Amino acid sequence: MSKDAENLADHPEDWLSEHGDYLYRYAMARLRNPELASDMLQETLLAAWKGSKSFKGNSSVRTWLVGILKHKITDHIRKEIRNRKLAEEIEADPTSAFFDPHGKWLDSPQQARNNPEGQYRDREFHKQLLDCIHQLPARQRDVFILREMEGEDTETVCNSCDISTTHLHVLMHRARLALRGCLQNSGFGIKETEE
Amino acid sequence: MNHFCQQASKLVSDAYERRLALGERLRLRWHLLICSMCRAYERDIRRIESALRKLRGIPPEDVSLPEQERQRISKALKTDTPQGNSNTSS
Repeated sequence: MSKDAENLADHPEDWLSEHGDYLYRYAMARLRNPELASDMLQETLLAAWKGSKSFKGNSSVRTWLVGILKHKITDHIRKEIRNRKLAEEIEADPTSAFFDPHGKWLDSPQQARNNPEGQYRDREFHKQLLDCIHQLPARQRDVFILREMEGEDTETVCNSCDISTTHLHVLMHRARLALRGCLQNSGFGIKETEE
Repeated sequence: MNHFCQQASKLVSDAYERRLALGERLRLRWHLLICSMCRAYERDIRRIESALRKLRGIPPEDVSLPEQERQRISKALKTDTPQGNSNTSS
């Protein structure tokens, strides 16, 4: 019996104390909702307990648990997208906010030079990036998370969200523009506000 | 004069979603050569994408499961998993 297979004989409460924080962080990064994140965690541990026979022991317990959690999160996001679909069908083009009527960048914050403060620490940047993702309009946010954080391919996202490829590309473009704008406003852009 | 920036920003994004047609690639590359604003945009998007690749694996470490929630889940697990507390199959 491998070490991990032995661990599986443990009670889910042991998983909670050993992997609870990690799984909670994983869920929070994607959901930004403490209540929902801990609900997902609880459901994951229960599902894992019920399905512990499916654990093959060829991955770590943590990887196995993350797999279950990931599945629950993508399921949740898909349901959200479907529920929201009709309400958000009509939406003005938010990308035009960044350009003048001729298609030229409106703001001129980015001088083409390297920013001396460019070496901000990864961790702060990651944290701000997550904040910005969660400030996106719901629809952009959801497909963006499925695509970029869960790493699903275009076809999977389109099928599960019932949108066309073209529409997905439009949403991703909007999301990227908005994210970049959000990061700039938070002081993580190329722009230096003082000069 | 019409500017290509808005379309360029779409192409930069699309390049992460699909394979660009040859004409699109050439147009974009040419535009990036002459437009510093779009170069800056492209660089920022690249930085965001590379950060996201890292975020896929490792959750940032500034949140942990609140104690109250931990206790709530622990309690629920005790109720819903009839095996009982720390009961192993030995």
